[in-house]
Amino acid sequence: MNLTVNGVSHEVGSSELTPLLDVLRLEVGVTGPKAGCHQGGCGACTVLIDGEPRRSCLLPAGYAEGTAITTVEGIGSPEDLAPIQQAFVHYYAAQCGFCTSGMMLAAQAYLDRGGSGDPEAIQHALGGHVCRCTGYSKIIDAVAAAARGDSFDLTTTAVGKHTTMSNGGAA
Amino acid sequence: MKVVGARIPRYDGVAHVTGRTTYVDDVSVPGTLWAKALRSPHHHAGITQLDTTKAESMPGVHAVITWKDVPLLEYGHLSALGIPADEPLLAKDDVRYLGQPIALVAAESEALASAAVDAIEVAFEERPALLDVRQAFDAESPKIHHWGNWYPHFEGEMDRRQIRKGDIDWAFENADTIVQGVYRPAAIEHAPVETQVCQVVPEPDGRLTIYSCTQALYFSLGVVAAHLQQPLNRFKLVGGTTGGGFGGKVDTATETMTCLLVMKANRPVKWRWTREEEFLCSSTRAPWHMELATAVSKDGWILGQKMLTLHDSGAYARFSPYGLTKHSFHHTGAYSIPNLHFDGYVVFTNRTPTTAMRGFGVTSVSFAVETHMNRIANELGIDQVEIRMKNANRIGDTSPNGVAYTDPSTIDTLKAIADAIGHELPADYRTMTNEPRAGELLPEHLVSQVGSTEGH
Repeated sequence: MNLTVNGVSHEVGSSELTPLLDVLRLEVGVTGPKAGCHQGGCGACTVLIDGEPRRSCLLPAGYAEGTAITTVEGIGSPEDLAPIQQAFVHYYAAQCGFCTSGMMLAAQAYLDRGGSGDPEAIQHALGGHVCRCTGYSKIIDAVAAAARGDSFDLTTTAVGKHTTMSNGGAA
Repeated sequence: MKVVGARIPRYDGVAHVTGRTTYVDDVSVPGTLWAKALRSPHHHAGITQLDTTKAESMPGVHAVITWKDVPLLEYGHLSALGIPADEPLLAKDDVRYLGQPIALVAAESEALASAAVDAIEVAFEERPALLDVRQAFDAESPKIHHWGNWYPHFEGEMDRRQIRKGDIDWAFENADTIVQGVYRPAAIEHAPVETQVCQVVPEPDGRLTIYSCTQALYFSLGVVAAHLQQPLNRFKLVGGTTGGGFGGKVDTATETMTCLLVMKANRPVKWRWTREEEFLCSSTRAPWHMELATAVSKDGWILGQKMLTLHDSGAYARFSPYGLTKHSFHHTGAYSIPNLHFDGYVVFTNRTPTTAMRGFGVTSVSFAVETHMNRIANELGIDQVEIRMKNANRIGDTSPNGVAYTDPSTIDTLKAIADAIGHELPADYRTMTNEPRAGELLPEHLVSQVGSTEGH
């Protein structure tokens, strides 16, 4: 089986039914996608398949053959951060960081679809992602800022806006 | 000062957003075996048979451990503070909660380790289980712990955390009314997105390197070394990167057992809990049972309070005696109550052992006190914010254990809350501060409880 991960082609020996998450982490050596639940519930393993967010823990690796697989490592580097990565740093949207890569890839797909800074639309786009640290408001602030096309000063952090959520913040 | 008040960037922010942060599960060591646990399928049972022969003989299985492999089977999480041990690292004669570990396997793959766990022959004799803390406190309930159903080893071998302050009989004799309430917050699972995980690597010099997701690295070091009866310098712990903990990664959940597997297999071993294990077997915030009876005057003074607290420790003590102690010191909340009668018990049930979570022991009593305060205000027909401000801690007021407050923030906090919710306060409340009590705010019954703030 041949998988294209972040633009690089990898020959892998796992069976086509092995979850893509395990192939990426154990065979390809890409550890950005996390095993939070291994049952499609938390979103931490999210990768982009041809630009669409997918749960790699539920996806048989064979399904991803011939597609462009993008992990968090593929959207930017420490020296050249993507706007969504800058936004997450500036808005303190990552606390422990474990959900962050999946959260950012869902956000990247949302931005690529031309998503707006509307908090409700962002909530909907990130709805399947669990974060236990932040309370979500900083994450929504970050995605909204990236959607607006803001530029980010990474020598400081934003003053939290504490985005009011449609359900009163009890996400 | 460069940092106070500044909006400094996170030191690990860029690593987090680029996938460069190395969590325990991201550590890759060639030749690593996978660990899986045989866990109790019962809430409470005797173990009548335990035979690991078949599992040990399976190809690809490198180590199986049971209680027989543990040099010091029982070591308490607070043993270093002199609190006696009650929990075996691996169950020996009986299991006291669903999911309690009985044996562990290390094998070439996760699937093979699971198959080997299934091959362990084990039999149980089920016993009645107690799953409610109030029920476990009943004198007629069956005994589920060798110490009895509550912890008996507080200082002076007392079976409770007890506070007596002032003259409780005076308070109840002089009250206009007594307001009662029972409050029972439920257990909460921390549910970090990273499940419990550790990776242990045998080093050529005989030391073991432990990659741990613990919130308490040096604490875990002591627990591991004690169970294994090895000097501390045998172990090198690598930690500090935790994928969410919230108190749930204070207990030493995986490190000791994984070390034992490594010592037996002489191979690196990783033990990563499934999401199901995290929910079923990891410690939770405790359920609590709190009964309050408060003596109040009709003009809104709290004269005294009796409280009974049952802290559900789950099957073993772990940190609960400490949590209950904190609870007892905070049991009046942010308010000044001069006459107190408090009894708190650490009660054993057949639930998963409970642990810290964001304000260990205190969030429970805050829930009870604040809900009860509304009940008192409603019964007396007094404004809910004003009754709080009237009884709020001030400089010189003393805590349940007699410590004088030097700068309590209750009044400022309440004023900010009133402001934020648009709640109108009378003029004398709007100008209230935390300055020591005087005049109308120092009625006769509060004079005796004011202490000295010197030396604090």
